[in-house]
Amino acid sequence: SISSKCLVCPSYNTDFFVKDSGFILGEELGLQSPTPQAEKPVATQQGVSYLSEKDGSGELGEELDLSFLPDELGTHNDTEDQASALEISQDSGVFDLNSQNSMAAYTQQGASTSGMGTMASPFCQMTPMTPMTPMTPVTERSGIIPQLQNIVSTVNLGCPLDLKFIALQARNAEYNPKRFAAVIMRIREPRTTALIFSSGKMVCTGAKSEEQSRLAARKYARVVQKLGFPARFLDFKIQNMVASCDVFFPIRLEGLVLTHQQFTSYEPELFPGLIYRMVKPRIVLLIFVSGKVVLTGAKERAEIYEAFENIYPILRGFRKQ
Amino acid sequence: MFIIIFTVVMSSPMAGSVASSSSKDRSVSRTSFIPELQSMMFALGDARRPLHETAALVEDIVHTQLVAMLHQACEGALLRGSRVISAEDILFLMRRDKRKVARLLKYLQFRDYKSKLMKTLEDDDTPQETGTDTQAKRQKLAQDFLVWMDQTGELLSLAERHEVDPVKQERLERLERQTRSMDQNQYSEFCESRQLSFAKKASKFRDWLDLSSLEVKPNSIAMEILSYLAYETVAQIVDLSLLVKQEMTAKTNPISHLISASYIQYNTHAEVCAATVEQPSGAIQPCHIREAIRRYNCRHTVSPHLVSCTAYCRSGMAFLAC
Repeated sequence: SISSKCLVCPSYNTDFFVKDSGFILGEELGLQSPTPQAEKPVATQQGVSYLSEKDGSGELGEELDLSFLPDELGTHNDTEDQASALEISQDSGVFDLNSQNSMAAYTQQGASTSGMGTMASPFCQMTPMTPMTPMTPVTERSGIIPQLQNIVSTVNLGCPLDLKFIALQARNAEYNPKRFAAVIMRIREPRTTALIFSSGKMVCTGAKSEEQSRLAARKYARVVQKLGFPARFLDFKIQNMVASCDVFFPIRLEGLVLTHQQFTSYEPELFPGLIYRMVKPRIVLLIFVSGKVVLTGAKERAEIYEAFENIYPILRGFRKQ
Repeated sequence: MFIIIFTVVMSSPMAGSVASSSSKDRSVSRTSFIPELQSMMFALGDARRPLHETAALVEDIVHTQLVAMLHQACEGALLRGSRVISAEDILFLMRRDKRKVARLLKYLQFRDYKSKLMKTLEDDDTPQETGTDTQAKRQKLAQDFLVWMDQTGELLSLAERHEVDPVKQERLERLERQTRSMDQNQYSEFCESRQLSFAKKASKFRDWLDLSSLEVKPNSIAMEILSYLAYETVAQIVDLSLLVKQEMTAKTNPISHLISASYIQYNTHAEVCAATVEQPSGAIQPCHIREAIRRYNCRHTVSPHLVSCTAYCRSGMAFLAC
């Protein structure tokens, strides 16, 4: 039920929630069904249905259904993708199995967490949220959301593949065994590249959201299946997420590198950015004098947001006046 | 380390061509790094506009030292029976100073890490074999150490060292102090200067070194290390010169708290440099550099019997970067 969950940490960014009225409700339904389900109820009140985009099949070990998702998914903008990715649903591939556990882990972190409000915060009232109510941001929140730039995921198609055959039959496929032992395939929507190995394993890169990465991987799997191989869709996993953003002020990197020596490396002769290896969460940040920040090494979106919220006050402290 | 009598009028016992070339000859016959050096010196702690003659002197010193290093490395390579000068030969020259070797290893580690990171960031359309370049530089070095020098495991452990490098620390602190007072424009200029390195100008660097006289040439990793060492040499010169300048300023200036106590261990035969008196906070002067080199050589004196023992000593020169 809605009242049992507090959806939003009161401190989070106003703008984000105002953008998607439908997101909250859809997310909530996701919370209530951590286990894989064949069908999902759809949040239709706000007129936005995030769940219809999921195909009916479960995630693990099932035959790939050829009556596939319509391509209108390609028209979803980033915001919607962000929102849908937050649903703790099997298909997002983000919170894998134990959404309850991950919730518990987040609540233990208390107010310092920068999670997107998908968990119950011990600090906010358990009251129902009306989607359009703007929340007052706490001053130390950055108000900046890193944008995902690249997602790398892997999946096991579960059968050995004849790469030469695939390269000959499929469009947009390259295969140069002397150079690299995999077929390189590309699709336009979502704009991604896949490396398909003869073992049946596949790497999918270039997507801008978890959902898109998964969708793209499914499309590649479908191509392989259509070529006659008994391809399945096993163990889909996001391996790396890259995001970037701008704090819009110049940063004095010499100060940062001196005070955070155990975490930082800065060799401007080699690379103009400072490399900050955050321990918790385990994320690598590239920080540039201009104020641009790149984050990488995340397996989950929340790690990126958390890392950025951790670094933001530090960067503010080294703002170049 | 080896001895050199280093004066502006060169009368060193070293092989003539290397030691006796003056900066005048060089700017005519070879490419010049003077403008780049001026930028680098600013980035390392000198004044906003380092003096031309200072940069010329630094260029002279760096060039001389690198060429000498190259020749020694070349000998080593030939002794090994190798057809190229590789990282091992240069590392062998550096073996005496563990701290400097550790610094070099950290640099190479960073290089590897950076290329690995860049790979994950780029949406790699043309994937390469994982591990060709990523671990290559460091692995190769670790292996080289093992094969050639490391009897006690000490050198390999340098790669894992997490001790604070006091010289690096001092540099970080200095730069932090320097940048604190800059405004945005100055700071962005400063950052650009910091990005300049010999590695970025690899072909010009190669020409500048003039490898034609060498029997065997350095490979690409050796060239990378050499460009790093060139930069380190400049950094060392600036470090030492700033200390000398500070000290000279302090001598003529009653404010004694300017002296950084931990580093003043030198004897006090310093010439009083007239320029310091006039402009205490100005740019580094050639006299500061000369004094710094003089002191460095005194400090790195090697006793005669040791000198004759080592296969690599010939005529003695205290390398700043080794």
